Amino acid sequence: MRMRGIFGSTARFRGQVEAQRAPLYRLAYSWCHDAGLADDLVQETLLRALDRAGQLNDPQRLRSWLCAILANCLRDHFRRARPLEPLDEEMAAHGDGPEAASASAQLAHRVRTEIERLPLGQRQVVTLVDLEGFSYAEVGEILEMPVGTVMSRLCRARAALRARLMDFAAGENSKVRSIR
Amino acid sequence: MSREPEVSREMQNAFVDGQLDAADWTAMVERMGANEVLRRGVCELRTLKDMVKGAYAGAQPARSGLAPTRWGWARAAALALLFAGAGWLAHAGLETGAGASLLARAGLRGTSGDRILVHVASSRPDVVDPALQEVEDYLHDARAAGRPVKVEIVANSAGLNILRAGSSSYAKRLEQLLSAYPNLTYVACNQTLDRLREKGAVVALLPGVKVAPTALDEIVKRLQEGWVYIRA
Repeated sequence: MRMRGIFGSTARFRGQVEAQRAPLYRLAYSWCHDAGLADDLVQETLLRALDRAGQLNDPQRLRSWLCAILANCLRDHFRRARPLEPLDEEMAAHGDGPEAASASAQLAHRVRTEIERLPLGQRQVVTLVDLEGFSYAEVGEILEMPVGTVMSRLCRARAALRARLMDFAAGENSKVRSIR
Repeated sequence: MSREPEVSREMQNAFVDGQLDAADWTAMVERMGANEVLRRGVCELRTLKDMVKGAYAGAQPARSGLAPTRWGWARAAALALLFAGAGWLAHAGLETGAGASLLARAGLRGTSGDRILVHVASSRPDVVDPALQEVEDYLHDARAAGRPVKVEIVANSAGLNILRAGSSSYAKRLEQLLSAYPNLTYVACNQTLDRLREKGAVVALLPGVKVAPTALDEIVKRLQEGWVYIRA
């Protein structure tokens, strides 16, 4: 198998893949905002990666390759769960989590809520760029779309977040400062 | 009259995401120096970017192996509490990513100009070590050639750690460089200092380190004065 040659052994490749669990989970969670589903998606992603190791030609692209598999897993999940729902449509919001207890946690919660309100396509782009630091070209490869689409989705996502969050952030920031 | 900045939103996003090439990045910074609206907009984008990053910083998977187990929302919510107070609110300055990483590609000695600003936004050895080596080589060569050059190292974000007294692993080297080359200056970003202090950190800087209101302010000022910008 090709991966044996690149990574030295299947066991080593397995370790490389498993090491990506935490960042993949964070990304998956930012896409679905469901801890259990995020765990399942990551698990499926890692298993698919191990199964398809030979498809990864460049080990430097392991992260983006795994993210592309994760995006496919999520797509498959929605096909199974809600086959009529377009991927770009807004997902149903979950209820408030119990972490909205302190000012800073409230802000974090608010940010996640607003990200969750974004259409999935925008949410994926903004999190791939901001959480994972991928370039626009890499995001385009992961989500199988032109760079221009990445840029326009990112633009719309940030415009929406900006409109909904900047005042809130300024207010919370003042609160934190005044406490100190 | 419209108050919208003349630079497109896509361009502003590309700037904060480090997607512009050197020429476009420099042109953008120059425009920001003359356009308060644009500058404020870019700062907001940076804040948003950090807010998104901070919102998921504590999210951790419940599983650690390939055996299927299932943890619920309450578990994830409890984990989410871990990132409370992460200090990402006031993160509006020049922080990461943006800019032309010419240092890695061409080396400092390959640049033209006799006034060089080196922007350090990371304390990672693979960033700082080659940057300091390039600075030292550049200053050494300039002295040997009798060229009156100036170099300014501007540090912010994680890069500010290299200028912190008592904790910087680069303290000795930076002090040696400073004493050897009076045409070298170090500048710390006050916005980063404020953020560290808000978190309760006691921040002392190495001797001779100057402080700018923000790294972005310093970079814009130097570019307007004709300095060459290089990101480490």
